[in-house]
Amino acid sequence: MEQPADRYSDLEKSDIFNNEFMVHIDALYNFAYKLTLNEDDAKDLLQDTCMKAFRFINSFEQGTNAKAWLFRILKNSFINEYRKKSKNPGMVDYQEVETYYNSDENEGQVQTTPDLRSETVKGMLGDEITNALNSLDVDFKTVIILCDLEGFKYDEMAKILDIPIGTVRSRLHRARNMLKLKLATYAASMGYK
Amino acid sequence: MGAFIRWIQRAMMSKEARCKEEERCLELVRLMLDDQATKEDSEYVLKHIDGCYRCYDNYDLEKTIRKAVKSKTKNLEVSNEIVEEIKSKVPI
Ligand SMILES: [Zn+2]
Repeated sequence: MEQPADRYSDLEKSDIFNNEFMVHIDALYNFAYKLTLNEDDAKDLLQDTCMKAFRFINSFEQGTNAKAWLFRILKNSFINEYRKKSKNPGMVDYQEVETYYNSDENEGQVQTTPDLRSETVKGMLGDEITNALNSLDVDFKTVIILCDLEGFKYDEMAKILDIPIGTVRSRLHRARNMLKLKLATYAASMGYK
Repeated sequence: MGAFIRWIQRAMMSKEARCKEEERCLELVRLMLDDQATKEDSEYVLKHIDGCYRCYDNYDLEKTIRKAVKSKTKNLEVSNEIVEEIKSKVPI
């Protein structure tokens, strides 16, 4: 992150921090929790994000999209710090997954989703939805969280994730197929009709 | 009228019935629900799902899943304790 010379006075810094950053603290905490799946780790990640936000406050332009800027810091911290110490051995390297799902020969696989009815999804419990979301590879889960829970637009997501808009769009499309597949598989295993 | 046609189609179509526009339509439905579709794309989708039950069903399911993800997943609030802790660590 670039660090221009002090562009803000201490008073301005505290104003930005309190009025532009702290208003997003709940959203940041929820994002952290959904990535780490642990309240203590989420709290550490949140603190780390806030510390970095303050440290690099000079590279934030007052009045611009603070939420996207903060989410980007959080996401990068998660990748650098928490993801590597994650105890999930089943975690698949994202690049591999994207290559796999982007290749034409596998195109049909996600599409042949078992039947899933709206009524079934309406009847599912929060834990069931949450488990399905958490069972997705973290990069797929992330785009759904950013889009559906936080309401970010594709161009904002592209900035947060450092990927082109086209990749946001295709990753999201595949993530939604995967989520649908998880929900359908779960519903079938529970004998939901 | 659209609803009635869909009802007839639902009654008559087998589960396997496919629409050759389905994949494209699903992509556009998602763009539309994400508020990222062009006006033309949205118009195409709305017109198409009014006559195609298969794609209407996809649209309905997409909306339902989004709503479920948004309303059924846990939403945490940061405690005052954590807020104070953060503020105490930032030199302001
Ligand atoms: Zn159709």
